[in-house]
Amino acid sequence: MNTFDVIVIGGGHAGIEASVASAKMGCKTALFSMNIHTIGRLSCNPSIGGSAKGHLAKEIDALGGVMGILADKSGLQFKTLNTSKGPAIWSSRSQNDKDLYPLFAQELLLSTKNLSVVNSNIREILIDKDSIKGVITENGETVFSKCVVLCSGTFLNGVLYTGMNGIAGGRIDEQSSTSISRNLLSYGFKTGRLKTGTPPRIDRNSINFSMLSEVGGDVVPKPFSFRTSTVRNTLTCHQTTTTEKTHNILRKGFSESPMFSGLIAGKGPRYCPSIEDKIERFSDKNSHQILLEREGLTTDSVYVNGFSTSLPRAIQEEGLHSIVGLEKCEILKYGYAVEYDYFFPNQLKSSLETKAIQGLFFAGQINGTSGYEEAASQGLIAGINAALTVKDMPAFTLSRAEAYIGVMIDDLINKESEEPYRIFTSLAEYRLLLRQDNAYKRLSKYGFNFGLIDNNQYEVLQHKENLTGQLISFAQESKASPATINEYLTDIGESKLAETTSLSIIAKRQKVSLKELFSIVNTHDSFPATNELFEKAEIEIKYEGYIKRQLEEVEMFQQTESKLIPKNLDYSSIKSLSAEAREKLIKISPVSLGQASRIAGVSSTDLAVLMLYIR
Amino acid sequence: MSSSNTVCALATPPGISGLAVIRLSGEESFSIADKCFRGKVLLSEAPSHTIHYGKIYDGDVLLDTVTASIFRAPHSYTGENIVEIGCHGGLYTTSNIISTLLNNGAQIAKPGEFTQRAFLNGKLDLTQVEAVADIIHASSVQGSHVAARQLLGGFKNKVDSIRKELLSICALLELELDFSHEDIEFVDKNHLTTLIGNSINTCKNILDSYTSSSILRDGYRVGLVGYPNAGKSTLFNALLDKKRSIVSPIAGTTRDYIEDSLSLNGIWIQIYDTAGIRQDSMDIIEIEGIEFTRQLLETSNLILIVNDISISPLHSVSLYKQLSLLYPEAAFCYIQNKIDSVSQSLVSISDIDSLPVSSLQSIGIKELKIFIEKLASANVDRISDVLLNTRHTAILSEIIKSLENANCSLNIHFSNEYVSLDVRKAIYLLGEITGEVMNEEILNTIFSQFCIGK
Repeated sequence: MNTFDVIVIGGGHAGIEASVASAKMGCKTALFSMNIHTIGRLSCNPSIGGSAKGHLAKEIDALGGVMGILADKSGLQFKTLNTSKGPAIWSSRSQNDKDLYPLFAQELLLSTKNLSVVNSNIREILIDKDSIKGVITENGETVFSKCVVLCSGTFLNGVLYTGMNGIAGGRIDEQSSTSISRNLLSYGFKTGRLKTGTPPRIDRNSINFSMLSEVGGDVVPKPFSFRTSTVRNTLTCHQTTTTEKTHNILRKGFSESPMFSGLIAGKGPRYCPSIEDKIERFSDKNSHQILLEREGLTTDSVYVNGFSTSLPRAIQEEGLHSIVGLEKCEILKYGYAVEYDYFFPNQLKSSLETKAIQGLFFAGQINGTSGYEEAASQGLIAGINAALTVKDMPAFTLSRAEAYIGVMIDDLINKESEEPYRIFTSLAEYRLLLRQDNAYKRLSKYGFNFGLIDNNQYEVLQHKENLTGQLISFAQESKASPATINEYLTDIGESKLAETTSLSIIAKRQKVSLKELFSIVNTHDSFPATNELFEKAEIEIKYEGYIKRQLEEVEMFQQTESKLIPKNLDYSSIKSLSAEAREKLIKISPVSLGQASRIAGVSSTDLAVLMLYIR
Repeated sequence: MSSSNTVCALATPPGISGLAVIRLSGEESFSIADKCFRGKVLLSEAPSHTIHYGKIYDGDVLLDTVTASIFRAPHSYTGENIVEIGCHGGLYTTSNIISTLLNNGAQIAKPGEFTQRAFLNGKLDLTQVEAVADIIHASSVQGSHVAARQLLGGFKNKVDSIRKELLSICALLELELDFSHEDIEFVDKNHLTTLIGNSINTCKNILDSYTSSSILRDGYRVGLVGYPNAGKSTLFNALLDKKRSIVSPIAGTTRDYIEDSLSLNGIWIQIYDTAGIRQDSMDIIEIEGIEFTRQLLETSNLILIVNDISISPLHSVSLYKQLSLLYPEAAFCYIQNKIDSVSQSLVSISDIDSLPVSSLQSIGIKELKIFIEKLASANVDRISDVLLNTRHTAILSEIIKSLENANCSLNIHFSNEYVSLDVRKAIYLLGEITGEVMNEEILNTIFSQFCIGK
């Protein structure tokens, strides 16, 4: 077993995608995990997707990744979030069985052709000059490979905190891996510290549900993956809030919160703040929302979403007991904070290969991101590119105009973030084009070309796209007269038609549903379309003007992206660049003027200098 | 382009003149100048901001007696070492000196290169660069004042404040989207419409000043129109105080048009004398047919209808009325010309501004000039800090369009991301004006306005 094409280190969400993609692309692949039974764990909240994260999950599925399938199989509740906003912002989220998700993941890995799963720590990554040779396991065994994808998550120099007590470990009850950090530092890699926290888990039987409101899934639940036919809702969550009393109790422990008192040096996430952070930052708010998420059908463990904390145990307990419904709750696992190493992601190319070591890829939390979906999408890209490297084929990258994954990776390698990076719709300039509903249209061609989506599956997707196109043309050609349609328009509060108009023009109105239109003018029978197809077509029709404007922006974007910067440009000889810009440009060595424009510290003047210089 | 070269060029207009200035900029300016300049001190040893008398030699041949002004980097226009050689004017001397400098290692500067270097060295931001181009082109005293104010960043401040306002609107829209699963409303949509409306108005105000700034740049344009032999050319000469148009009593003497300019209290006035409009062909279509006249009237700020009062005070009223309908943007005045040839007292015509004039006897000319100046300065007064060029106006119109789109999305209750699309676009475009956004098109547009030596 001593030689592989690709070695993946770490069996988290990044590692799973990387190893499956590489193996499916025909590379002999090994996944090294320090404990096979923890592969695919949902170590934080028991859910997949959410605002913008749902987009990532869809994109992973469209590229032929596996997260969507695993989420569907282990899903207990499915919901589309943000439906009060436009379709570009709609995001899928599922509540998942925390025990089932890893089991399905492990089953999938073990049944994947070309993939060996190895239960072993890695002591060292073997590098010869500036390219990958393989790894050395904890037993001192040398395993050779052409590529290594490092997805070690928070395990690098991880320290766990509850109150002021710190213990070494990646996640609770697991050991942290420090030797790889040291190993890579010696090759000049630079690291920083980040922190993140989790909330306590409580016993379901100790919650007084009679006081709480229920939060259910969608009436018609939709799966993540196009390869899943149906999913069901089998779980209900419950909602409660903290009170002023809770906040007062927690404040008593502030001096003993490691994240809060500064004992942990790493920067914490702005968007998934601890409860102590929220109380301090939004001091005028006297209550915060808490969502109680049961972690599975066969467990009594409930995840207290919104109550991430590293306060001393006694304070956590007292605080929880002051919340409606949780007065007598029993804590199964206390909240904790974890501080860990990450590698500055500007040391990576957009393929996620390190610039310094050929064949070495980084994916997931190691790059300073937070979240399963962020990790999985990086894992997928790194896995694909590791396989392409083995095959000596050009790297695969996605642009900001193509996918949220492209936005994320471009941000990671060009911008500087002092806190864990989490995806948001506001980060995507071209988000009206990057919707969940068109993820397959955007990306499945790549998945198909890489062999991650098979022929039959691809045909199904193509067929759907064709039908959507036909549906749109049909709507443009079919007309409705005022007599047939005005009653409907009046009912929904839209103004009446004065003359016979095409359905596609009527459907542009905010409250008009394309499906309803079709049924009223009786074209429904002549066009057998599913709800999904009607939805896709309606979005294209309704927002056509906006989509067009956004496409114009993309065209401008692509112009600067295509202005390439010569590879060996000597920035140090360009005197008129600012010192900061020169340093950053040397470090990152952007491919194009477009990329240069996004590097933190490169001003528009620096950019003008570059333009004039490379003319 | 590499800024390590030292470049030189004539910085004053070419041609015969008393004095001319040749500018030399770059790291090697002093050493290159020293190779051909002989004075009391070596220029490379002279302190910054000093002037030195000396002689320029090409080898042993004396070319000229000159003064050399020294500006050391970074305290110069370009931010580089600069020598400005003040020499005698004339093509022969200046080109000899420049070729000597070139022989000694300098390169000839491309149009706008000095300013480009100033920009590259962070001495000017982009709006200031454009202002430099505008100063070069500014044709009036007031025009150059406004351009100078813009050079100091006045325009940028104005645009920046709109941009800031829009950025804060955008932040609110995004915040609400980022937390949309919690269904929190951060923004009152009506308030947002008002805020965006305010920004639209500010942009429109700036855009309005374009008319005024084009007056500063190109002069206040006054067109003379009338039937043949109404005395337009005589009036033209009287206003300019010189004989310019061919004046004759034969109708139709002035073909096409003649233009000249005068300065009234610092404002540049551009006057056009048009071909007369034949009464028998008094058809507006016919006037439209006279291409030059039509173009001219379209761009006129003031149209003077010249009437021969000796025929009848009301003789040209229908011409006046038709033209004022055709060119509603322009101001009009009815000139009762040849007042000296009639004894009748003046009849005022309702709804029409009229002035009695005798071009021949110079009666009423002073009053007419005061009238023109008043109108011109009223236009100019609307400008405070903003001098727009065509690039700015094109972008501002696009910004207004985007913001109107945004408000339209708000009106039809489309969600934030649709509003945000157009607000973001407007922010981007504002950045194109201030230079926060950079692309090749902008660079080309700006630097192509320059002439050599600037």
